[in-house]
Amino acid sequence: MLETGVRQLRMALAMVWGRRLNTGNLARLVADCLATLEEFGEPGADAGEVIDGPLADPAARLDFATRGLRRTAVRLAAQSPFYARRFAAAGVNPGRLDPAGLHAIPVTVKQDLIQRPDDFQCADVSRYLATRTTGTTGRPAEIWLSRYEMELWSAMGALAGVLRGELMPDDVLQVNVSSRATGSVHLNVAGCRLVGAACRVLGIVPPDEALDSLTQQGATQLTTSASYLGELETAARRRGMGPNDFQLRSIDVGGEVLSTSLAAAARDTFGVTIIRDLYAMTEVVPVFGRTCTQGHLHFDINMGLVEYLDPHTGQPAEPGALATVVATPFFPYRDCTPVFRYDTRDVVRRLPDETLTCEVAALPGTGPIEGKADGLLHLGPHDVVTPRQLIEAIEALPTRPWPARYKATVHDGHLGLTVPASTVSGLNDADVARHFTDRGLEVTLTLVDDDEATTLRPVRADLHETTFVARPALIGA
Amino acid sequence: MNNNLSSSPTFLALFQLVVTTIGATMACLGALYYLRRVRLERPAIGRFNGRDVVFLFTFLVVLPGLYLFLPQWALTTVLAITFTAALSIGFRPILPPTALWVGIGALIGADLWMGQRMINDVANWHYVWAENSLVVLLAAISVANLYVQGGMQLRHMAWFAAGLAIYDSVFTIIWPVSNLLIRAFVNHPLFPAMGMRIHFDEAIVGLGDLLVYAGYTIAAVKAYGRPGLRTALSLVLIFGAAMPTLSGLVINFVDSRLDVVIPAQTYFGPAALLGYLWLRHHYGRERTMKEYLASLNTEHPNPPTTPTIPEEPKLESEPVVA
Repeated sequence: MLETGVRQLRMALAMVWGRRLNTGNLARLVADCLATLEEFGEPGADAGEVIDGPLADPAARLDFATRGLRRTAVRLAAQSPFYARRFAAAGVNPGRLDPAGLHAIPVTVKQDLIQRPDDFQCADVSRYLATRTTGTTGRPAEIWLSRYEMELWSAMGALAGVLRGELMPDDVLQVNVSSRATGSVHLNVAGCRLVGAACRVLGIVPPDEALDSLTQQGATQLTTSASYLGELETAARRRGMGPNDFQLRSIDVGGEVLSTSLAAAARDTFGVTIIRDLYAMTEVVPVFGRTCTQGHLHFDINMGLVEYLDPHTGQPAEPGALATVVATPFFPYRDCTPVFRYDTRDVVRRLPDETLTCEVAALPGTGPIEGKADGLLHLGPHDVVTPRQLIEAIEALPTRPWPARYKATVHDGHLGLTVPASTVSGLNDADVARHFTDRGLEVTLTLVDDDEATTLRPVRADLHETTFVARPALIGA
Repeated sequence: MNNNLSSSPTFLALFQLVVTTIGATMACLGALYYLRRVRLERPAIGRFNGRDVVFLFTFLVVLPGLYLFLPQWALTTVLAITFTAALSIGFRPILPPTALWVGIGALIGADLWMGQRMINDVANWHYVWAENSLVVLLAAISVANLYVQGGMQLRHMAWFAAGLAIYDSVFTIIWPVSNLLIRAFVNHPLFPAMGMRIHFDEAIVGLGDLLVYAGYTIAAVKAYGRPGLRTALSLVLIFGAAMPTLSGLVINFVDSRLDVVIPAQTYFGPAALLGYLWLRHHYGRERTMKEYLASLNTEHPNPPTTPTIPEEPKLESEPVVA
């Protein structure tokens, strides 16, 4: 207990002083945490502060953010060629920055990362692992990560996972994300190693193989994307599988919009009560968001600053308005190719200025991810349709078309929707029209052949990986 | 009434036996009562482990030496802070803040006042010792529970007692640091011992001994339930209370020139270790705190449940009805 206290003190001091954390110390804290759970069955009363930090007070939050920003900016000005130029061009003093004055620095966009990746790397850090975005929204960006970052994030993730009871030594985690998502795969594997859990990395294999693995080898946790979960759900229903076939206790989903209908169906089929809809993005790791039971998205405020800007004006979005998420991971949580004010183009709706009552009310919250800013459809000056609205509407159809495939266009303020024929098969036009109208959407439907489905809306589940069991017959056939 | 200033060795030994037995029994049963009814706050992460025992032991070895070099005012201050901390830890879960601090202030304040103003009259010593004993007893109950509810196992407590056996023997028989310490504490407030006085005869049992007895007992109960309790209480009464007092009498009877004082832990330490090994051999591994609490719920099917931590982040420790 005494040495655990010393370890916690070391971690806290490193966080307060903004120095690199000792990752070995963090790994030992994970072991301490497991020993605590073994002895007591649950962590002590202050577990929430260990995970989320003692930042419920807005003034303390602002002070923390200001210090984090300055620390990060000062380092970037000295170590990152891209940001040294950017800060100089903006005429800002990195050591005197504060959240209110951030607008002086232009946001960083994905194109910056793609065009000048080397300029983002800090001079005082060695590269260890490259990870790429999946490229579903265009050309992939490559991010280099340091060994320190990989050890730090996995240890902090394991610590939070154990304290929240999300990952335990008797768990078997099945990872169904693209094998090329090296950062995500590495973190899952390393997190399981620290906790003592088992980890099975399958990648985006044919859904039947993933289901076989879930059922026959007893996975208790599943990590995947919303679109692949949709494929698993469809395959499980086709095979007549139900809750008794699985031992899952929770499913983590991230990277795409998860509709309420798919989440409900997955709960029923896989027999889980918990589906964690997480927000993570390669470029801004380790700034994560998680969804509470009331459907709010809460970003962690210890590892970075999150701004909510109007997608068109770049000014802070008003309560209730749509906003793009702009994230700045703080040093020492990001150190190899850090970004500053990175515009994710992921859109959320800001919540009204009211006190939250959810279980994560101490952290600022927004509405769930509505989709990419480029996918917003402007029917009129104040009439915007978000990708989430479309996905929610399509995936709620009785045909259960998971994952939703569509292409949306706007002509003269009217919404046109192209979907595969199977999406509305067996439904008459009136029922389909009423279905969309009930959800506030007046659409003109165009049906295409199911073979064209994947061209309408690329999703992560399209990154299928070949296996010898289910090898595609197109090569040399 | 005995007008002689020195009573017979037999009387003194029996007097010491009675005081030690009463003190040890009250500490053990008081700690057990507390363990069954009160849940102490604990940190988010961490449980007592072997390295903590080593740290604690080192601290206890070094501390008495420091006491000897401190001026009396500083020693009294350190003792006041120590007892205040121990009492506040132990009784915060069961008393509202005002009552807690008023109570601690009254206890410590009375001890300080009585320890300086009421020691000139032999008759008043009854009250001085009664008040001081109450402070020491409550502190021993608190700290023993702090350790055991913090995850200290019987294994740790047994090895700790065994270490103390060596320490006490060395620093009582070879280098009489313990005797010097008693001289430093005696006739001053906050004497870290329970005691009683009959005329000019005084018998005491030290806070360290009480802490070990209480800790060992509740660690045994936590680990093995009723068999643990039976074993622990037997060992405390035989090797913690009877043997140290009566063996001195026997040795002095054989050779009255020896005038031997046998420290309590010299007997209790090895017995505690053997008792632990016997329990482990017969009943297997120790129960965890989680398993112990589950067994309480089995004994009492409908106790008020303590909400799990994740749902109630601001949960404070609270009494649990056994």
